[in-house]
Amino acid sequence: MTDILPLEPVRRTFRDYPKKPRKIRGSSIAILVFLTMCALFIAIPLYVIIVTSIKEMSQIIQGEIFSLPTKVTFEPWWKAWNEVCSGVQCEGVKVGFINSLMILFPSLVLSIGLSMVTGYALALWNIRWAGTFLFVLFTAAFVPFQIIMIPLIIMTGIIKVYGTIWGVAIVHAVLAMPLLTLIFRNYYKDIPNEIMSAALMDSGSFWRIFFEIILPMSGNILIVVLILQITSIWNDFIIGLYFGGIGTKPMTVILANSVITSRGEISYNVDMAAALLTAIPPLVIYFVLGKFFVQGITAGAIKG
Amino acid sequence: MAIRWSRWSPRIALVPALLVTAVAFVGSIGWTIYISLTTSRRFPDYEINWDEWLRQYERLFKDGAWATSLKNLVVLGLGSTLAIILGFILAAMIEKEKRGEGFFRTIFLYPLAVSLIVAGIVWRWMFNPSLGIENFLHELGWTSASFNWLAAPDTAMYGIILASIWHGSGFYMALMLAGLHSINGEIWSAARLDGVSVWRLYIEIIIPMMRFTFLTCAILLSLGVVKAYDIIVAMTNGGPGSSTWMPAYFTLNAYSGRSNIAYASAAAVIMLLITAAIFIPLVMVTAWRVRRREAIAK
Repeated sequence: MTDILPLEPVRRTFRDYPKKPRKIRGSSIAILVFLTMCALFIAIPLYVIIVTSIKEMSQIIQGEIFSLPTKVTFEPWWKAWNEVCSGVQCEGVKVGFINSLMILFPSLVLSIGLSMVTGYALALWNIRWAGTFLFVLFTAAFVPFQIIMIPLIIMTGIIKVYGTIWGVAIVHAVLAMPLLTLIFRNYYKDIPNEIMSAALMDSGSFWRIFFEIILPMSGNILIVVLILQITSIWNDFIIGLYFGGIGTKPMTVILANSVITSRGEISYNVDMAAALLTAIPPLVIYFVLGKFFVQGITAGAIKG
Repeated sequence: MAIRWSRWSPRIALVPALLVTAVAFVGSIGWTIYISLTTSRRFPDYEINWDEWLRQYERLFKDGAWATSLKNLVVLGLGSTLAIILGFILAAMIEKEKRGEGFFRTIFLYPLAVSLIVAGIVWRWMFNPSLGIENFLHELGWTSASFNWLAAPDTAMYGIILASIWHGSGFYMALMLAGLHSINGEIWSAARLDGVSVWRLYIEIIIPMMRFTFLTCAILLSLGVVKAYDIIVAMTNGGPGSSTWMPAYFTLNAYSGRSNIAYASAAAVIMLLITAAIFIPLVMVTAWRVRRREAIAK
């Protein structure tokens, strides 16, 4: 130690001055160790769900939750997809998967179409009460669902869509409208004035400007909103539970029914396989399009 | 003709959104408040007995399960602040130590893509006393370890807090990272030149500079806690007993379990009031920030 120390300053002035070498210092190691530990904590449930879903029950009942499967089996996956019971119906989570898909498309079209046009009108057209309306929307975005749920149940009953795919889709669209409108409006308001006045001069009508100028400019925000909506509709539980009828319940509700209210012998591997199957679509979107996903989440959070 | 249409088309285009707002939000909230003053049970009954129009609210505040729900609201709110603290620590570390930034960010944020039902089901499985983590710790030799939190009324909420922290810390990390990025980079070099220690730099300069980010996080967290429902259903379904009931759970139980619309409405109105109490500071902070940004721009 002592014979190296005096050399240190000499070396530094000599070699380190032009370009700092990236040395791993003690504090860096401490930080990386801490981050890795936190990453392990966050990753553990994903590991457990995957490992449990491909184990055999005979291994699970020995109680080694973290151990790798001694024999990999995909039977739990097959059972979860085809045989798991929700109430009296034993057709697996695939029923929920199809329902979720069928709910997803109309909800996406309704919610994005409505809020895109509204956001465009509020951002770029001269409407005197736009500020007031935006404030009302901002407030509506935070209202707890429970305060509007019962009237919505009654109203969807009156227009004869309660319990259908369309009923669930409409409620999703209604609930998403305030937030999405604010997101679109915040995006469109930065479009330079010159573009709008040029478009207006060009005898552009409201809809022509929308379809010919605004829509082609919306690629980025559309992806962000699309991902935000797909994940939140897919992961929704409460709307599906209270507005879905027999045979129109989404995947999360089928999953909850089969795992939480199931009686008799519990097959943990089938439970985990069912949960994993429900989680896969949003997870795939996250791992493939993570950048847009994070933008959507934070855009949804910090509006102002 | 074109000019007249350009005046009217935007207004016509706003009609659906206005209708949705008026009917599904404003009207529905009014309806729920009105119904909470009636004695409706399974079906709405629009007569109000003005001698005891606060009946549902009186009942509500005598209900032990409602008291538990409010208590749990505070417990979950306080417990989940750990997610904000962890989020800040993670963000500060990732920001400082650039190595592995993408990798760590990807890991910390994936819980956001997982539905709370799935998250709750996995955590419930890990809390399983004979086959889950407790058993794992026992086999490691730590025989006194107790991780069977969900089975006992006084520890069940801690299980839900743990799962909430797992689910939420990545989100706060993302918000904190955005806040840290907006801090002027010269502060770091200035602090280094002045020989300010890392701890003092964070505690005395960085954290005060990020007070709005912290406040936003705290408000978003509170709003999320008021809405907490899915995670409760998936992990404990309110149990053991009614020890993990939350206001959202109570309200929906009053509606579908007890089939009492008026009672459920009264609970929903209180939820709205709690949300408003959290929401109004958010509006004020946002307005203040906008004004400040405009002042800086001038």
